Amino acid sequence: MKLAVVVQRYGADINGGAELHARYIAEHLARHAEVEVLTTCARDYITWKNEWPPGEERINGVRVRRFAVAKPRDPRDFGHRSQIVFDHPHSVADELAWLESEGPTSPDLVRHVARTEAEVDFFVFFSYRYYHSWHGIRAVPGKAVLVPTAERDPAAGVSIFGPVLRGARALMFNSFEERALIEGVSGRTGPGVVVGVGSEIPDQPQPARFRRKFDVKRPFAIYVGRIDENKGCRELFDYFGRYAAMNPRGLDLVLVGSKVLEVPSHPRIRYVGFLPDEDKFDAIAASDTLIMPSRYESLSMVALEAWALGRPVLANGHCDVLRGQVTRGNGGLYYESFEEFAEALYALEGAGPIGGPFGRNGREFFRQHYAWPVIERKYLDMFDRLSREPAAGPIDKIPGWMARRKRDRPPAAAVVGAVKAGPVVH
Amino acid sequence: MADFHVRSDSVDVEQIMGQIRTRIREKRGADYTEAELQHLASVKLERFLDSRGVRSTLVEAFRKTRVASPEPASYEFTDETLFESPRPWLRKVRRWLAPILRLFINPDRLSAALRVQKEVNADFHRRFRAREEMDPLYYEVVHNLVLEITRLGIDVQNLKMRVESLSSRLDFDERRGRSLEGLVERRGSESPRPPDPGPRGPDGARYGSGPRVTEAQSHGAPAGPVAASPAPLGGGLAPQEARPDDPRDRRRRRRRRRRRPGQNLASMPGGPQGAVSGAHSTGDGRSQTGDAAPTSDDGDGGDDGPEGNGGGPEDTHQ
Repeated sequence: MKLAVVVQRYGADINGGAELHARYIAEHLARHAEVEVLTTCARDYITWKNEWPPGEERINGVRVRRFAVAKPRDPRDFGHRSQIVFDHPHSVADELAWLESEGPTSPDLVRHVARTEAEVDFFVFFSYRYYHSWHGIRAVPGKAVLVPTAERDPAAGVSIFGPVLRGARALMFNSFEERALIEGVSGRTGPGVVVGVGSEIPDQPQPARFRRKFDVKRPFAIYVGRIDENKGCRELFDYFGRYAAMNPRGLDLVLVGSKVLEVPSHPRIRYVGFLPDEDKFDAIAASDTLIMPSRYESLSMVALEAWALGRPVLANGHCDVLRGQVTRGNGGLYYESFEEFAEALYALEGAGPIGGPFGRNGREFFRQHYAWPVIERKYLDMFDRLSREPAAGPIDKIPGWMARRKRDRPPAAAVVGAVKAGPVVH
Repeated sequence: MADFHVRSDSVDVEQIMGQIRTRIREKRGADYTEAELQHLASVKLERFLDSRGVRSTLVEAFRKTRVASPEPASYEFTDETLFESPRPWLRKVRRWLAPILRLFINPDRLSAALRVQKEVNADFHRRFRAREEMDPLYYEVVHNLVLEITRLGIDVQNLKMRVESLSSRLDFDERRGRSLEGLVERRGSESPRPPDPGPRGPDGARYGSGPRVTEAQSHGAPAGPVAASPAPLGGGLAPQEARPDDPRDRRRRRRRRRRRPGQNLASMPGGPQGAVSGAHSTGDGRSQTGDAAPTSDDGDGGDDGPEGNGGGPEDTHQ
């Protein structure tokens, strides 16, 4: 079986959620099939500027083929078009212009996908919202498997994605909430399965090594990820400052990841920078609990890693996905206000009565649903099923020249707002 | 912080979240839920905040003023725009005549200026939109401030009431303590010399058991005013004239008994003008006003009486 993983960026040092997800999946599927990665030369997800040379290379044993981005993104233009599409009635032409503006605009990549359709059994596209997925799936709908990595943001309500989401052969969802969202906005009924992604968890993490290396003595809660306002870090700092004032003997906060937002100077907040995987896992193992303050997640890999290491998770309850995961896995608590944050963090302290049981539940949840053999099996079963089943009809055509210019599309934010929110609890 | 009751390893997220929420509700108090606070913040601010200058309609007014500005008129402007027309033949004619027009004016400058103007408009609109996007943030800030001020106002009101309550209880306890201390002292001092029952009347058990009687007598003070007293109190009856079975004395006692606590002779109907209850003569002959009602029998204020300083006859009996 020959598979092509198509993703917007790819590299051993790229740690964006969807890109890392794609790399893990490519590397694991490579054990069962011939896998090639088709991607762009971009490294920066803001501008999509070409930073790698086009052509072929091998990363961790997987062949990677890069294509140049024809036009880097103009953030101002993209912001303006996003505003039109998300918040105002608009036309299909506006949406297509928005997609073009979002990028990464790489017609060469799409042409290659169309050209190699006969040679490849399945194309696994990552991230529904980008240029490569939209054009790529339209080029090879009968062989397109999409990993949407959709969050509950207005982009999901852009109408041009409906035909693509409905037309792909199969969708590999990250969570039940994502599935509900996608099915809600697109009306999709075709094959799909909630898969998620595993992680490369070390067998023997060394919490003491992290404490020694970074001179961390007190018990602490940990945040791992980009330190960014969009990830809820500003709210986290605010809440933690108040929690620390109320609980002089409570947990400290350790931050791991690249810094976009300034970390406040606080005696109990410690920023240790971006860490290699070994140190990251040591840090999580040394912590009492992991905090996930983001409101928009399609899947939190770091939460899964914390569970794999037996640590409970304190998640932002405004994020349906995180709340659903925490509730389904019985592996932590969630908060929707400062009071809940303070009480829940206090409850999850390692010395408390529930941190341990939650951690054990989380470990079991991870083992049952997110261990690599489980993930790989779900992908392979889906490919097997698709090979046996006939492909559905062609994807809906783009409206004609005149129809494309009719301002008859509702604001995308309103479309997403109309879809039922909330965690899916079985 | 809450204590969580977990019987075994089978923890349940929703159950613990329920415990957390209950605990938060208990902390906040059952009187004011979030919804009630919202209601109070929007309607009844003045009641709690007095005239601090925060209007109860502030949030409402802020919300009303939030309107999205319309998109500016958009137009594309190129060098050809000046010669555009819906009629193709007219467009052609204008193009042919363009060189002649250029002999008189320079339309390129006009086009350039309008292009710049278009960009200025777009930039202005972008900035204006950015400003509008900040508005909800300000709204949130104002709203939260109003909410917090309301909450604080309520807290201050509650604290004031508690302080008043504590203050009155403390006052009462102090007075009670002082009175009990005085009682202990007097008991200690009266034990060597039993009180002289002489001046008591037939209801001496009632009146004479008061500490002032025994103390005044134990210090050798006469039952009447001291010798230096310029004028007897209580209607001018000399104490030495008072005898247990004297009908005038009985009548006088009955009259005194009719007085209510805190009432003095001057305030009684037919009482002597200028006479003051509790007033007693001091050793130097000056009149001094006591601040306690002489009839009080609960100890309150009674300890301000003229113990051992030659109290007048009324003091000695009440």
